Amino acid sequence: MEVSEVKKLWLTALRDLERFANNKYWLAAQIAMNLADIFIFALVFRGFIKRDIVPDYLQYMTPGAVALASFVAAFSIGREVGMEVRRELVDYLLVLPMKRTTLVFGRILSGMLRGLVYQVPFIVIAMILLSPPTIGKTPILIATSIILTTTMSSLAIAVSTISRDFNIQATFRALTHYLLFFFSNVFYTRKALELRFPQPLPDIINIMPISIAADIYRWCFNYYQSIDIWQKLLALAIWGAILTLIATTIYLRNLTKR
Amino acid sequence: MTEKAIEIINLVKKFGNFVAVDNISLTIYSGEIFGLLGPNGSGKTTTLLTIATVYKPTSGDVRVYGYSVVSDGDKVRKMVGIAFQEPKALGIDKPYDLLLWHAKVVGYSGEEARKVVKDVMEDLGLWEHRNKYFYQLSGGTRKKVEIAKVLIQKPKVAIFDEPTAQVDVVSKHYLWDKIKELKEEGSTIIIATNDMFEAERMCERIAIIYKGKVKAIGTIKELKDFVPLGDTIELELASYADQHVLDILSRFGKVRGLGNKVLIYVNRGEEVAIDIIDALRRSGVKIVRIMVKEPSLDDVFFYITGAKLKEEIS
Ligand SMILES: Nc1ncnc2c1ncn2[C@@H]1O[C@H](COP(=O)(O)OP(=O)(O)OP(=O)(O)O)[C@@H](O)[C@H]1O
Ligand SMILES: [Mg+2]
Repeated sequence: MEVSEVKKLWLTALRDLERFANNKYWLAAQIAMNLADIFIFALVFRGFIKRDIVPDYLQYMTPGAVALASFVAAFSIGREVGMEVRRELVDYLLVLPMKRTTLVFGRILSGMLRGLVYQVPFIVIAMILLSPPTIGKTPILIATSIILTTTMSSLAIAVSTISRDFNIQATFRALTHYLLFFFSNVFYTRKALELRFPQPLPDIINIMPISIAADIYRWCFNYYQSIDIWQKLLALAIWGAILTLIATTIYLRNLTKR
Repeated sequence: MTEKAIEIINLVKKFGNFVAVDNISLTIYSGEIFGLLGPNGSGKTTTLLTIATVYKPTSGDVRVYGYSVVSDGDKVRKMVGIAFQEPKALGIDKPYDLLLWHAKVVGYSGEEARKVVKDVMEDLGLWEHRNKYFYQLSGGTRKKVEIAKVLIQKPKVAIFDEPTAQVDVVSKHYLWDKIKELKEEGSTIIIATNDMFEAERMCERIAIIYKGKVKAIGTIKELKDFVPLGDTIELELASYADQHVLDILSRFGKVRGLGNKVLIYVNRGEEVAIDIIDALRRSGVKIVRIMVKEPSLDDVFFYITGAKLKEEIS
């Protein structure tokens, strides 16, 4: 009666998704609302942005929306994990016959899966409004999605388990969320940013993880013809490695310090 | 019954400055049903959660079949299963999904998992509730779902934290039988409770804890002997118990005469009763009836936790 640690990891990761499936309508409503949110933002910003800077704003914005949606969905795992800690539901996870690291990565993978599921409709929209990625670009699209969602999931979990106090949890989560949301090039092109903000803000915004992922998606959906894709991918991977490492350490410590 | 299943060694658990468990040491042997008995806030749950690796000891250690909860948590968790005092589930969880997931994580394959979950759910009368949301379930039903987890898991060490609180009388007896079956199948059982009846009925040995300390430990019988003058011998004589008779009896313990009845408070009542019969016969006093009453576990509990014993003794 012994299950491998890998299977336990998957069971832990999938648990959250199964719960999600129990709430299909809620999920559908969430997706619809987020879609609407992002595109309303897009329409508003479109008005601000000069045609000569961004010829087709919707085409610029859509791959960014893929990044944003993946981020928002993966990040939403923080709410669940925070609640688990607050209501001591985590006690149950802590007594299961598995390694602590299996539990930690299982929860992070839950967030990753949320992000991946959530981004599907956005990817479909991007393929329609722009053009589908070539076969060669597909693995890069997948890798980017995995790195992005894993990083954001672990970040959300770390931030949400800093305290057992709901207000502190929510504040930290919102702060991180909006920082990442607004300090990105999802709605503004680099040129637009440079016109509005003094250096080094535009440079910083451009090396934020959501911006990098958005740029890669723009390349995948053929908005950009030539960017240094490997450099972008490497930068995203470095972000991912650092944030995930810090986040797992914090989560693990928060789980076991009791 | 000599193999040690659980060894709690100088366990201290503090929350901030508050000492919830205050230097507890005790041993639970393989295959026994052990009870932790104590009033609210005495540290039962804290102790159990430390055994189950949720809490880290502030100092001291717990060994589960030799493995330390501090340094070998992974190995400990493979042997321990716990039914929490507060059932652990989200309102939107459904019992069947919850238990099926649990079964898979504790090691059943898909097919086996479905079978064991169905069996246990039917057994506990949970099958009809399988697809309800958790928030729709009654308190007792939630508790049964929590217990079902351990019955499915069949861990080497099965921990039940107040298993029958909120459960109706009929279900209570049924759950007790199920827990005993688990023991027959080889699990060591730990039950935390403040229900004397449950403790008396289920547990082979009991530790009474109070304010984080072990105040007494032993079999029910041993605990009852723990109460000084806890046994009551009730004598009914053929005639009025006069001062002469009361003088004879007061050699054995505290005496109270009530017409032709006498109550004598003693230790080890069964043995003393024989001496009393001898003594009265020699003095020519006729006994109609004699009865030895043990203290109830309530009395033991009252005595140990510092509350007053029976009002008669005062
Ligand atoms: N996480 C915690 N943080 C702070 N104090 C705690 C915590 N858990 C328990 N305590 C305190 O430790 C003491 C022991 O609590 P515990 O839950 O172990 O008692 P118990 O014997 O299980 O009581 P009950 O019969 O009510 O379940 C209580 O005073 C409680 O308030
Ligand atoms: Mg308790």
